[in-house]
Amino acid sequence: MNEKWIKILVLAGLALAIVFTPVLMSQSRKMIQVKGSDTLVNLVQILAENFMEKNPSVPLAVLGGGSSTGISALLNGTCDIADASRDWKQKEFDQAWEKGIKVKLFALAIDGLSIVVNEKNPLNELTMDQVAALYRGEVKKWKDVGGADLKVSLYGRQSNSGTYAFLLEHVLKNKPYSTDMKEMNGNAQIIEGILSDEAGIGYTGVGYVVDKSTGQVMKGLKVLKISKAKGQPSYSPLDKEAVYSGNYPISRALWQATNGTPTGGVKAFIEYELSPEGQKVVEAEGFFPIQGPLAEKNRENLK
Amino acid sequence: MDFVKKLILITAALLALGLAGFAQQTYQMTVYFDYSHFITTDGYLTSNALTNKFHFRRAYFNYENKISDNLKFRFRYDADNTANLTSVDFVKQTVKKDDKLRPFVKHIFLEYSINWLQSKFNIGMIETMAFKLSEDRWGLRSVAKTFADGYKDITGESIDMTSADMGITWKGVVSKELRFGLGVHNGSHYSHVEGDKYKKFSGYVQIVPVNGISLVGYADMERQAEGKDAVTYKVDALINLIPKANLVFEWLQYDSDLKAYKSGGWSAYATYQITAGKLGIFFRYDNYQPNMSDSNKDMSLIIAGLDWFAWGKACRIQPNVWIYNYKNSAKKTDVAGVVTFFMTF
Repeated sequence: MNEKWIKILVLAGLALAIVFTPVLMSQSRKMIQVKGSDTLVNLVQILAENFMEKNPSVPLAVLGGGSSTGISALLNGTCDIADASRDWKQKEFDQAWEKGIKVKLFALAIDGLSIVVNEKNPLNELTMDQVAALYRGEVKKWKDVGGADLKVSLYGRQSNSGTYAFLLEHVLKNKPYSTDMKEMNGNAQIIEGILSDEAGIGYTGVGYVVDKSTGQVMKGLKVLKISKAKGQPSYSPLDKEAVYSGNYPISRALWQATNGTPTGGVKAFIEYELSPEGQKVVEAEGFFPIQGPLAEKNRENLK
Repeated sequence: MDFVKKLILITAALLALGLAGFAQQTYQMTVYFDYSHFITTDGYLTSNALTNKFHFRRAYFNYENKISDNLKFRFRYDADNTANLTSVDFVKQTVKKDDKLRPFVKHIFLEYSINWLQSKFNIGMIETMAFKLSEDRWGLRSVAKTFADGYKDITGESIDMTSADMGITWKGVVSKELRFGLGVHNGSHYSHVEGDKYKKFSGYVQIVPVNGISLVGYADMERQAEGKDAVTYKVDALINLIPKANLVFEWLQYDSDLKAYKSGGWSAYATYQITAGKLGIFFRYDNYQPNMSDSNKDMSLIIAGLDWFAWGKACRIQPNVWIYNYKNSAKKTDVAGVVTFFMTF
C-alpha cells in the first residue's frame, strides 16, 4: 500500500464521519418500533399516545401489518415490540433460537374473537362446528344453519393475520378456509363488508364491534353467540365472565413480544400498558384486562 | 422423458392445482448500481485508463404467489450485463454482443410446506442451499456476493457453485438444535441447460447448540466424467450473540478430479445495525486460495462500509471500500471506493 492512498483513505474516513455524525446523533433519541397484529394496532396506538403524553422523551411508532409481519420484524431486528393475536408458532421459536433472539412474551389483553353478521341476518347463534363448516365452505346457504335462503358471503383476513391463523387452528381444526372467502386487509374492512352485505359473515377482535361513542354494538352489525356444541348454552364475546371462564369458546390472549427482558423505554411502555391505568384503556377499547396467572407471568417476564 | 421435462410437468401440475384456490400475490422490484472510484491507479486491476465509473449491476423483478397456506410459487426475473447476447445474424453466422442489461429467469419454483419436520419442498429453478444461510446473514448482496458465491468473480477460478439451479430440495427442522437440507440438481446452473447425465447431490446439517450460534456443514458432489468427481465442502459458523449484530465465518474447499489442484479459502464478516432500519456498518475479510498447491496465487479482499437507509427501506446508500491484496509481489494492491445505491419498491 502506498502512502498516497493511505492518506486518501484516512480523508475518506473523516469525510464519512462528518457526513454521518449528524445521522448518528439524530438516532440517539431512538424511536421505539411496535409492529404486528391488526387486531391490536388501534389499542396499542392509543396506549402509545397516552404514554407519550407523559413521557415525551420516549417516542413510539405503532404499525400494523399482521401478527406474522410483526413476529418476522422482531426476528429480523427491525422492531422492538411484536404484537400478535395468536400464539407464536414452534417454527418461529426455532428461528428465534437460531438467530439469538430471546423471546419474552407479555399478555396485553384478552379478546373474545367475535363472529359477526349483518343485523338483518335472523340468526342469533351458531355452534363451533357450524362456524367451521361455514368457513370451510362445507355449508354454502344460510338456510342450512337455520338462516335465510341466501348464499353465504365469507369475510376473513389474509394469512399473515394472527386472527386468520387462530381461527384456522382453533375452529377450523387446520382444515383450509373456503376459497370463496374474501381476504380483507384488516378488521375494519371486515366490518365494512358485513355492514353492506346482508349475507355476510366475518370474524374480528371484540374491540372492533362496539361503537365507542355509544358503548353499544355498532349499528347495522350483529354479534353472534357461540356454543361449544349443539345443545350446549351459547355465549356472547361481549360477556366478560363467559370470556374469562372459557365458556365463550373462542377467546384468546393478545400478545406482545420483545427480544430479551425489556429495558429502558420499551420496559417503561410495557409497564404502563400492564398497569391498572393501561388496563383501563384496554377495557375502554372493548377488550378485557389481564388477570390471574397471565398477569403474574407478565410481572416475572419484566424482571 | 428426461429429468427437466419431468420437473416442468410436475411443476405445471402442482401450479394448476394450486391456482384453483385462493392466492396472495406480491410484486417487488429491486435495483442496485454503483459509483466506483479507483483510489489506486497502479494496482493489478486498477489503472489510469479507467479511474471511475457508474456501474448498473442488478435489477430484479420478483413475483410471489401464496397459492394456499402451504403452497407458494415464485417467479424472479433478473437482469445484469453479463447476459450480453443481443442477436444472431444467420447470414453472417455471427452474434452481436454489447453490455446492455438483459433479463433472464433466475427462479421459477413451487414451494410446498408440511408440518412434519417443518418440511419445505422446492421444485423448479430453485435457490440452491450452498450459501443461502450465510447470504441471509450478510444481507448486503448489493455491496458484494458472499465468499463462495463471488469466488469465481474475484479469483477467476471456477468452483462450480451457483445460487440457482434446476432441481428439487427438501429442507426440514428436526428440533430447534438440528436442521437439515437435501437436494438434487442438474448442476448446470441457471445459465445453462443440462449437458450431461450426471446430477449434483447436495446436503447440509445445521446444528444450533445454543441460542444464537449455528454450525453448518455443507457438501455437494457431481460426477464430471466417468470416474471423475467434483466435491465441494463448506463449513459456516453463524453467530448472533449481540443484538442486531451478525458474525459469520465461512470455510470452503473445492476438489475436482479434473483439476490437478484444490481451491478454497475462508471469509469472516460482521454486520451491525447501529439503529435498526436506519444505519448499519459492515466489515469483511476474504482469504482466497484459488490454487492450494501454489500459494503465490493467494489473495485477500477487505470490504468495509456503511449501510444507510436514506429513505427508509426503499432506498439505501452504501458507501464502501474494497482493498485487494496479492501474495504475488508482482501484483500491486488495488483499492476502490464505491458508493452503492440500492432501491426496492
